[in-house]
Amino acid sequence: MDKATNHPYDELLAAYSAGSLPLSQAMCISAHLEHCRDCAQKLQRLNHVGSELMQKLKPSRTSDELKHKLLNMLDSLPEDEPNDEPGRHDPRVPRCLHQFVKHGYDDLNWKRVSADIHSVELCRDSNGAKVELLKIKPGGSATTHTHMGDEYTVILEGSFSDESGLYGQGDFVVKNENDKHTPVATQDRECICLAVTEGPIQFTGFMHRLLNPFIRRSYA
Amino acid sequence: MALMTDTTAKTDKLSQLSECIDRVAEHRDKAAFAELFDHYAPLIRAYSLAREPGADLVADELVQEVMTRIWLKAEKYNARLANLNTWIFTLARNCRIDYLRRNSRYVTEIDPTDIFNDIEDEGPGPFQMAQQSRVQQNIRAGLEQLPQEQSEILTKVYLEGKSHQQTSEELKLPLGTVKSRVRLALRKLEVLVTR
Repeated sequence: MDKATNHPYDELLAAYSAGSLPLSQAMCISAHLEHCRDCAQKLQRLNHVGSELMQKLKPSRTSDELKHKLLNMLDSLPEDEPNDEPGRHDPRVPRCLHQFVKHGYDDLNWKRVSADIHSVELCRDSNGAKVELLKIKPGGSATTHTHMGDEYTVILEGSFSDESGLYGQGDFVVKNENDKHTPVATQDRECICLAVTEGPIQFTGFMHRLLNPFIRRSYA
Repeated sequence: MALMTDTTAKTDKLSQLSECIDRVAEHRDKAAFAELFDHYAPLIRAYSLAREPGADLVADELVQEVMTRIWLKAEKYNARLANLNTWIFTLARNCRIDYLRRNSRYVTEIDPTDIFNDIEDEGPGPFQMAQQSRVQQNIRAGLEQLPQEQSEILTKVYLEGKSHQQTSEELKLPLGTVKSRVRLALRKLEVLVTR
């Protein structure tokens, strides 16, 4: 807790509280919240806003039939499913990733992207955004790139720096299509990030520009 | 004075409902559950209709889903961490997200359960919680004072479940204006201060 120094901006946290955020972005917020007491507190207050707005709605009459149906069902409802038994998941892995990272990061099917980077795609969101984990080796660098859409990154392990600063565990970073950056992992350890990209990444180096048509195709 | 009376009435109603949830948790009391239904089901229904006007079947389905969770999770409700209204708002929100995911044209495997559940339950410690009811009163009073253009946007985002982009399209406002109105509104409600 309390390690993060880069936070989601307020209206994004509000959209999370309202439930109007794409689930892939909500995952990033959720991962950040595990490291940030301030944002967790803000979220409590944002939830109160939703609660008060809901109380102000004009109630819509429900049928007696629905009420009786429900009351008659209560005894036959299955027990509430128990939470995950403790110890099953690696404590390093945030809860929002348990669905995809069953044990630990080491057991994932990492694919080599470059000498410095490995990645594993976890899933796609219904808006097409790609959700993946990136692993940068100590001192390793991600190629300079820009984005066609927004990119949301949460640092899960280690730290990296780029043109705008140093980011450590729990930090929440958003880059948009105008940001060109070159993240470099710090020397002491590898860096693992959760990354959500709304559109394909555009590599800007000369050699890599040749790759762009192929990368774009994989998003089609 | 009228406002004071209104606030007191709401507080009384809330403590009455909080007793009901305790009775459900401890004694599986169906009469108490029926009282909760009478109060919350019409609000949950209205919440669903705010997003999908006219979709009565969807609204009834959401009522059934949320009320079922209230019955099953009553024991887990912790008054120290959130008041009952807020707890039920988060349940309704989570059920609506799950419903939308299951019925979306574009499917995703992302399961919202691990994203929204429990994380909030681990929230702030007892000291901060003592301030919650005052915070909530400020929010309630603040909502009454918000300029219409700001409350309209909060309604879009929270009740209609619209993204900032959709809100901007519907209200024919630049995206930046939508975001800054959300921020302004939250600042007025004193939601953003970190203590």
